[in-house]
Amino acid sequence: MIKNYFRTAWRNLVKNRTFTLLNILGLSVAFGVSILLGMAAYYDLSYDRFHDKKESLFQVYKVQQTPNGSESGTSSPVPLAEALRAEVPGIEKISRHLSDVLVATKGEKQFSLDAVWVDPDFFDMFSFPLLNGDQAVLRQNEVVITEGTARKFFGRTDVEGETMDLLLKGRSTPFTVSSVLRSFPSNSSLEFEMALYFTDFPDYLALRDKWDSQNHEVYIELEKQVSVAQFEKSTLPFVQQHYKGTMESSIRDGALPNEDGTYFQLGLLPVEDAHFANYGEGPVRVVRTYPYLLLGIAFLIMLIACVNFINMGIANSVKRLREIGMRKTLGAPKKQLFFQLWSESLLVFFMSLCLGTLLGYLLLEPFQDTFRTAASFKDLGHAQVLFGAAITVVLISFIAGGYPAIIMSRLDTLQALKGKLEVAKGNRLRNALIVVQFCIAIALISSTLVLQQQLRFMANKDLGYNKEQVIAFPINGKRDSRQAVQLLREELAGNPDIISVTGADNILGRGTDGSAYTSVLGFDYKGHSVKTNMLVVDYDYVETLDLQMVSGRSFDRRYATDSLGVIINETMAKSLDEADPSSATLMLDEGVPYRVLGVVRDYNFQKLDRAIGPLTLFMKSDWDLYYAYVKVAPGTLADSYDRIKDTWAAIEPNAEFMGSFLDENVDRTFQEEKRMATMIGAGALIAIVLSCVGLFAMSLLMVSQRQKEIGIRKIVGASIGSITFMLAKDFLKLVAISFVIASPLAWWFLSDWLEGYTYRIELGLWFFFAAGFLAAVIAMVSIASRTIRAALQNPTKSLRTE
Amino acid sequence: MLLQLNNIFKWVNSGGQRVFLLKDINLEVTEGEFISIMGPSGSGKSTLLNVIGMLDTFDEGEYQFLDKSVHTLKEKHRSNLYKEYIGFVFQSYHLLDELTVKENLEMPLLYKKYSSSERKAMVADMLDRFNIVGKKDLFPAQLSGGQQQLVGVARALIGNPKLLLADEPTGNLNSKQSEEIMDLFKQLNKEGVTILQVTHSEKNAAYGTKIVNLLDGRKVDG
Repeated sequence: MIKNYFRTAWRNLVKNRTFTLLNILGLSVAFGVSILLGMAAYYDLSYDRFHDKKESLFQVYKVQQTPNGSESGTSSPVPLAEALRAEVPGIEKISRHLSDVLVATKGEKQFSLDAVWVDPDFFDMFSFPLLNGDQAVLRQNEVVITEGTARKFFGRTDVEGETMDLLLKGRSTPFTVSSVLRSFPSNSSLEFEMALYFTDFPDYLALRDKWDSQNHEVYIELEKQVSVAQFEKSTLPFVQQHYKGTMESSIRDGALPNEDGTYFQLGLLPVEDAHFANYGEGPVRVVRTYPYLLLGIAFLIMLIACVNFINMGIANSVKRLREIGMRKTLGAPKKQLFFQLWSESLLVFFMSLCLGTLLGYLLLEPFQDTFRTAASFKDLGHAQVLFGAAITVVLISFIAGGYPAIIMSRLDTLQALKGKLEVAKGNRLRNALIVVQFCIAIALISSTLVLQQQLRFMANKDLGYNKEQVIAFPINGKRDSRQAVQLLREELAGNPDIISVTGADNILGRGTDGSAYTSVLGFDYKGHSVKTNMLVVDYDYVETLDLQMVSGRSFDRRYATDSLGVIINETMAKSLDEADPSSATLMLDEGVPYRVLGVVRDYNFQKLDRAIGPLTLFMKSDWDLYYAYVKVAPGTLADSYDRIKDTWAAIEPNAEFMGSFLDENVDRTFQEEKRMATMIGAGALIAIVLSCVGLFAMSLLMVSQRQKEIGIRKIVGASIGSITFMLAKDFLKLVAISFVIASPLAWWFLSDWLEGYTYRIELGLWFFFAAGFLAAVIAMVSIASRTIRAALQNPTKSLRTE
Repeated sequence: MLLQLNNIFKWVNSGGQRVFLLKDINLEVTEGEFISIMGPSGSGKSTLLNVIGMLDTFDEGEYQFLDKSVHTLKEKHRSNLYKEYIGFVFQSYHLLDELTVKENLEMPLLYKKYSSSERKAMVADMLDRFNIVGKKDLFPAQLSGGQQQLVGVARALIGNPKLLLADEPTGNLNSKQSEEIMDLFKQLNKEGVTILQVTHSEKNAAYGTKIVNLLDGRKVDG
């Protein structure tokens, strides 16, 4: 019997080649895309889930009240961890975690390695096993490295007991390799190439008792019986004691207390949430938008494909009414008919799933590159994932294939024999499903338009500095950074294409080294506390970047005292609240007075999702620079780039040159948005293509349903145009309804998304009208061929059948 | 002279062979005639009617309609021609099920240039003439077969055509209804409408002024 089911199913599918192909095509694409997207989402959502003790592991964060509301963050002072362990109950284990980049040297060769300074409990808490599966042990003057690092540095992995020379504060210091860690999953928010003992950290002694210098995170493993709320409550007296000064200055500046009536709080964030946590203004927010967006798009695409399948199933049923009527008169029970029809859809789904998986497999690499995910089919190899996927597929085929099957198996025998189907009800469902498809398409198209527009806006925005002509690169060699910049300046002098050279301790945008950091300084100025971003620069910084001075002057080599001068931006000037800010003197906490030399016009030194903050430029020659900036003449940009690269190679022969133009750097800061725009754009494209396939099938159905009407109308004199319009009108109506439903929803989501950007485009109505118009045009194009053909057809053909 | 067919051939290619649907047909129709086309199934009656109605093309021969050469006309002009001068009546009425009687009558006018008030007047006139004013808001399914065909004839005549083409107009009706429709045709013919009908029934053919017999696509005498 079952064999018979599948044989007839196969023959029917072959007979309806067009529909079968359209169905398999649509479903394969949908399966392929959904598998990829689902995989990426699963990969993202399983971040940090590989730790055995994940349920009891937490990251410590703080929430501080400021006059502008609350501010959250994770950076902690060095004494915090030890004080917590000693004074607050409920801590099973605790470890500090300070990220660093260290240069390891081996003969002539240099390696830049991501390092973490951690406490010995670290390997007790997190699951980073050794090559043989044991737990790593960390001791002073020893280093634990990963498998990859061992291969990179030594070329082999059995390197226990070997020595590694690390450059600490410019001094080469030997460390013994104690053990080698097995490579750990890439979806870990704790990433490092080597781990070192926290107290070996060069500034440890200087910072040991300083509560106001905060540079690392603290991780806690709670005792089993202690809850987060209990722990957070028991930190209250601890905070009162250790953060007294911080709270007092909050009160003095006019900050309002939080709901609990305090000005400073410590909190615990589950390690599993760490990857998704956003700190900054307001309390910590855990946002899993991205993986859910992926799942959402996968779901929508699957939905569209299933809608097509259902609609085509119903469409086909009209053609098969006689067959079903015949089977019924021959005594086929409902159940059997249902299974026969369902087996066809199962067959189609099975084939599509195979093709879709193949498609996903073929597209994996471009997918990984485009969306920068390390997700692969390997991650899906768990029994539960496979089982869930299998259930999903069967369920989808049951809903999508079962519905038309039920409708048809329930038909009245005589009615079926006559070839008449009560279509009114089916049409309503069909219309509702098409509206759903078009809602999705319109929402995705308008989102794509808005995202692209916002990206273009950000890329083209005048940031207040010259991003086209300036090349920046990290100063990553062995030389002292000031000296390196000076050498560079001298080497490049006299070259007409090089306009000026300078350095700073931070990058603008995001460089090819991918690193980013902010350093914020707080101090008291005339009785109120002032916070400012700080930037250490070299001479010519203002000139190299074409910053504009509003008042005062830039740093000048003629004045030796300029090393105790600062330049502030307009926002900072405002927060000083001074009639003439360019004559103010800032007393920083060392008690050294810094004189304000000038005020520079505000420029976007950070990403565009935030407003320009206060900024102070320092020029102290004993503070390190990390990036060099070179302004070049326009016209010969590429040549100048090569010239600079060669010059740098001469100055630091062992260092990699990682230069890029600032406009490229700025572009790189939008990577997240670009990824999202690509994702939604691709989703929109696929949604549209699939919707078109569905519409095409629908136009086939509609034409066959209305064949007689078309014939009659033609005979009484309807023109081709008027018939085409009559047929298209119904679909246009559906597009219009979808537009009315989808636009407000899309508007709401998009305006919410744009809210996150200080610099954003106006959310005009045209985005939605354009999307709606596009959807209408696409709908028309996809039904055009069939409707025009129907309108052209000789009416005697359609009327002869009786 | 209303129309003239000269040596009309129509064929299809089936299995490499030419199968003739119409073979060397010559026919003249003058205004005021009532012609019946007869013949067994498959003899080409309907095909001939469709050719005359310009719904179907032919492969060889000449066709003059009101001194216009139909065979040289473009599709668009052809359809304008039949839109204006020809009305069709079908065996299975071909009314639109989802439109009322009134709307079915109005439909042909929608495709010509009439204002809404003109259309209303013409529909009212037609309803009156066929005595179906009381049924104007009913749907076809609510009418008997004879009444449906009455509506079908009314729809065919609403544009004041010169020629009425009827393809077995009584094929689906009982004898009493048939008689009524044929009486109506006769009446219309008297009023000046030229009628061409395809029929199987000798009795119906007798209503006409002339009979054309077809066999295997060929005109035969007698």
